[in-house]
Amino acid sequence: MLDLLQVVSDGLLFGATYALIGIGFTLVFGVMHKLNLSYAAASLGGAYCGLLVLKVAAGAPAGLVFLGALVAGGVIGWLVYLTCFHFIPLSNPLATLMSTVGMLLLIDEIIVHVTAGMPQNYPAMFEDVMLHVGGFTLRGDLLLVFLLSVLCMAGLLALLYRTKLGLATRAVSQQAVAAQLCGIRVARVNALTFIVTGLLGGVAGAMIGAAVGALSPLLSAPLTVKGLIVTVIGGLGSIPGAIIAGLLVGGFENVFQLYRGVTERDFYVMLLLFAFLIFRPGGLFAPKTGRD
Amino acid sequence: MDFYYGLAQIVGVHTLLGLSAYIVLLTGQVSLAQAAFFGIGAYTAGMLTVLAGWHIVPALGAGAVVGATTACAVGFPALRVKGLMLVVATLAFGEGVRLFFFNFDYQVAKGGIKVGPLGGEGFRQIRYFPEHGWTTGEVMVFIWAFVLVAMAALWWFDRSRYGAVLRAVGEDELAAQSVGVNLTAVKVSAMTVGGAVAGLGGGIYAHYTTHIEHSNFNVLVATFALAYPIVGGLSNVFGTLAAVIFVQVFLIEGLRDLGDWRNLLFGALIILAMNLRPHGLFGRRRA
Amino acid sequence: MKRIAIALAVSLAVSGAALAQEKTIKIAGFGAKTGAVRSFGVNSEAALLAAADVINKQGGVRLADGSKAKIAVEFYDDRCTAEEGISIIRRIAGTEAIVAVGPTCSNVAEPLFGILQKKVDDKSDSGLQMPIFTDVAVKGGLAKISEWSFRNVPSEWTMYSSLFYWLKTRNPGAQTVYGGVEEDFAHSRASWYAVMKDRAEANGYKVLGNSKWLLNDSNFATQVREMKNANADIVAIAAHPFTTCGVLKEMQRQGVKPKVLIGLTSSSSMETLQGCAKQAEGIIIPTSFAPVTKEGKFAAETTAKFKGAADLHSMAAWENMFILKDVIESEKVSGNKDQLQADRRKIRDGLAKLKETKGLLGITKRTEDREADKPYLFVQATKGEWKVLHDPL
Repeated sequence: MLDLLQVVSDGLLFGATYALIGIGFTLVFGVMHKLNLSYAAASLGGAYCGLLVLKVAAGAPAGLVFLGALVAGGVIGWLVYLTCFHFIPLSNPLATLMSTVGMLLLIDEIIVHVTAGMPQNYPAMFEDVMLHVGGFTLRGDLLLVFLLSVLCMAGLLALLYRTKLGLATRAVSQQAVAAQLCGIRVARVNALTFIVTGLLGGVAGAMIGAAVGALSPLLSAPLTVKGLIVTVIGGLGSIPGAIIAGLLVGGFENVFQLYRGVTERDFYVMLLLFAFLIFRPGGLFAPKTGRD
Repeated sequence: MDFYYGLAQIVGVHTLLGLSAYIVLLTGQVSLAQAAFFGIGAYTAGMLTVLAGWHIVPALGAGAVVGATTACAVGFPALRVKGLMLVVATLAFGEGVRLFFFNFDYQVAKGGIKVGPLGGEGFRQIRYFPEHGWTTGEVMVFIWAFVLVAMAALWWFDRSRYGAVLRAVGEDELAAQSVGVNLTAVKVSAMTVGGAVAGLGGGIYAHYTTHIEHSNFNVLVATFALAYPIVGGLSNVFGTLAAVIFVQVFLIEGLRDLGDWRNLLFGALIILAMNLRPHGLFGRRRA
Repeated sequence: MKRIAIALAVSLAVSGAALAQEKTIKIAGFGAKTGAVRSFGVNSEAALLAAADVINKQGGVRLADGSKAKIAVEFYDDRCTAEEGISIIRRIAGTEAIVAVGPTCSNVAEPLFGILQKKVDDKSDSGLQMPIFTDVAVKGGLAKISEWSFRNVPSEWTMYSSLFYWLKTRNPGAQTVYGGVEEDFAHSRASWYAVMKDRAEANGYKVLGNSKWLLNDSNFATQVREMKNANADIVAIAAHPFTTCGVLKEMQRQGVKPKVLIGLTSSSSMETLQGCAKQAEGIIIPTSFAPVTKEGKFAAETTAKFKGAADLHSMAAWENMFILKDVIESEKVSGNKDQLQADRRKIRDGLAKLKETKGLLGITKRTEDREADKPYLFVQATKGEWKVLHDPL
């Protein structure tokens, strides 16, 4: 029983990293009703850029690396918007789907060219990371990642519901044409959405790097898949949903691994997703407005 | 010369993969399950020629049938959801199938060595073509015979009433439904045809590479299946063929002389193509 | 008049000599220069170019007619995919290359060897007739697929046999072994189940079990906990650098400190140290290359000039170039364009005939099924570098 509890708590904590990626997917989907498949790769790209801080100033504290990742993430987010969305008509979801696939491949390859594909050491948040409670252990750094994702959620919700930008964003997400008629510059709002999700992505990438301890281009595919699953289970466009779904997937994943072994683990994660699609097709927090 | 024949074989296999996604896309459904049907066809046909000693033609046919059956069975539950939900549902199904093959062992002893699929180690020695003395040119003609039949059939479908119905569903489901189109029947039938074409392509693929393993049927392959018709445009089957040639011949082999730039250009040129031709290379702007 | 005739004769002779000089032997290399395995392709290419440069500076290779030819290397990127690997070998077969060196990935080598002719002189088999001399792809037993495929990769079986045998005398207190394996990667799987586990048991160790993870996993808490509970004296990790680092970092977090830590032979490269030098401290890995001999140092330095790192994989490519030079000379390869297929056959027969070859660490034995039995060393990660721990030979 203690085993199971330990496994679940390990998984829940690691799920915090999935949640961070899921928030980004869900935000773009909520605002533009578009899928940005390059998001996980762009987040990793931001995290890699953070490492440049160590190149310039060796021995810089981890916090500076994360800050670098945040800024780089925002810039990459804006570039993704410009190259994959700005010039493509919004009425054509397939074209942006493919342009972001192209971006995913491009970002991965740039990373590979700069690092020769070798894994890069990533600074941890702090040295001694384990909290011991009797025979039970918890990873302190992941607790922090979890708190951070809750903080991001609070920040995003405040941004969406307390600021003018948020109002404009919500207006665009509900009725882009009407918003435009009211004098909202839709393209600018969309670009800002990408910058905000990019900033978030940079943080997510850095947290993943810190949690894993190393970055590798190998991470982008599984993060993309997990991020999408989290988005769907959480309910498209729902930020709290993405967080809960992230933790849920992390926890279940570990339970499946414990009972069915690692080779069947992901198979059961897919079954979990199917169960949601059949019994709760809208996800945990289905948006109330009926627009697809 | 063999190199060009070999390249033509790759183009043929990928055209089938792309066409399987094309027909599903006509109904407005984005499916990432095509790599799974491709894999199912590959394992079926490979096992029939290697383990059961079948001739290649019935083996490929069986691959197509099994692919179609699976697609039909998956179509019913999966096509209840739409949009991103469907993308992720089919992605999950595709990964599920890949993981099935990852855990799938079925080996029999044949001539002193064990042959057949062996989980993560893959399925080697699917050597029907070289064992029967087929030259690269002959294999190319053989493959293209299937590709041309598939293209002609889909071209004809497209032109027929059936094609019109498919496109009507793709344009506006509600309108199609209100004039009496049975949405489920249309979507599932498109999925089934797609599954058959993918299964056929997979069977050929297995014999082309002689070795298959679960990672040959991953998300990236599923994404490419989708990329061909989208990059090529949904006007007709030739768009898909053009996109396959663009990717396989131009981006992969044609740019080889650029050395390291090739890999970077691969993604960049796909982005550029979508910016310049958002409705595909051969696409028409839809109303 | 006479003068003109002499001038003409001289110029003819000169141009004739120039023509003879211009004969080149083409050797094709191929491997992955795209994706996470890019460093392998880059290093192999550098080693091939460096070795060819050394040979050319010494005058080149001697052909059947006694003339000397320069070696030209062309390297192709196969992106670690089966289709592209097949496409490239067909492309190479269409050029004047007499032999191909590669590939990086076992999942390319396997289909590639499959399209080759299985048995030489089998008229009913229309497989490709092109000798391939693999430098990197290390998954066990691949060369037996075709009589045209040869490999110069270390035998993990021999190396780990010897390692466990040596550990027995060095750490007599250690009795138990626990494994970690990258379950979805064919090479790592084979390395643990068929090699490390088996060899540990053969040397009298008790194998307590193993943890499994996948190639691109990032959370190893459960696996390391299993490892911790087993509390074995020796932990052997059969995984590539990225997950090796992930596991090592998790072991640090959970405080798992085995007496001896063993790694996969492919991980004895810069990659592991780039990812987690601190956590990898002390890990022991058997490898078929370390710059300990004079030749080894020279090879590493020369390869560095071509912007490549010397490790067990790229140095196999270096060795292959010199082995091929010897085969070209001993088999009397003509280097004539119209005898291309005959030359390729001579290379194949020459490689098949070899009983032993010269390597950077010493003599490599060739086996009946076209594999190599290479000399090896045990290296240990020490302060961010690989240091030679023991030379068992």
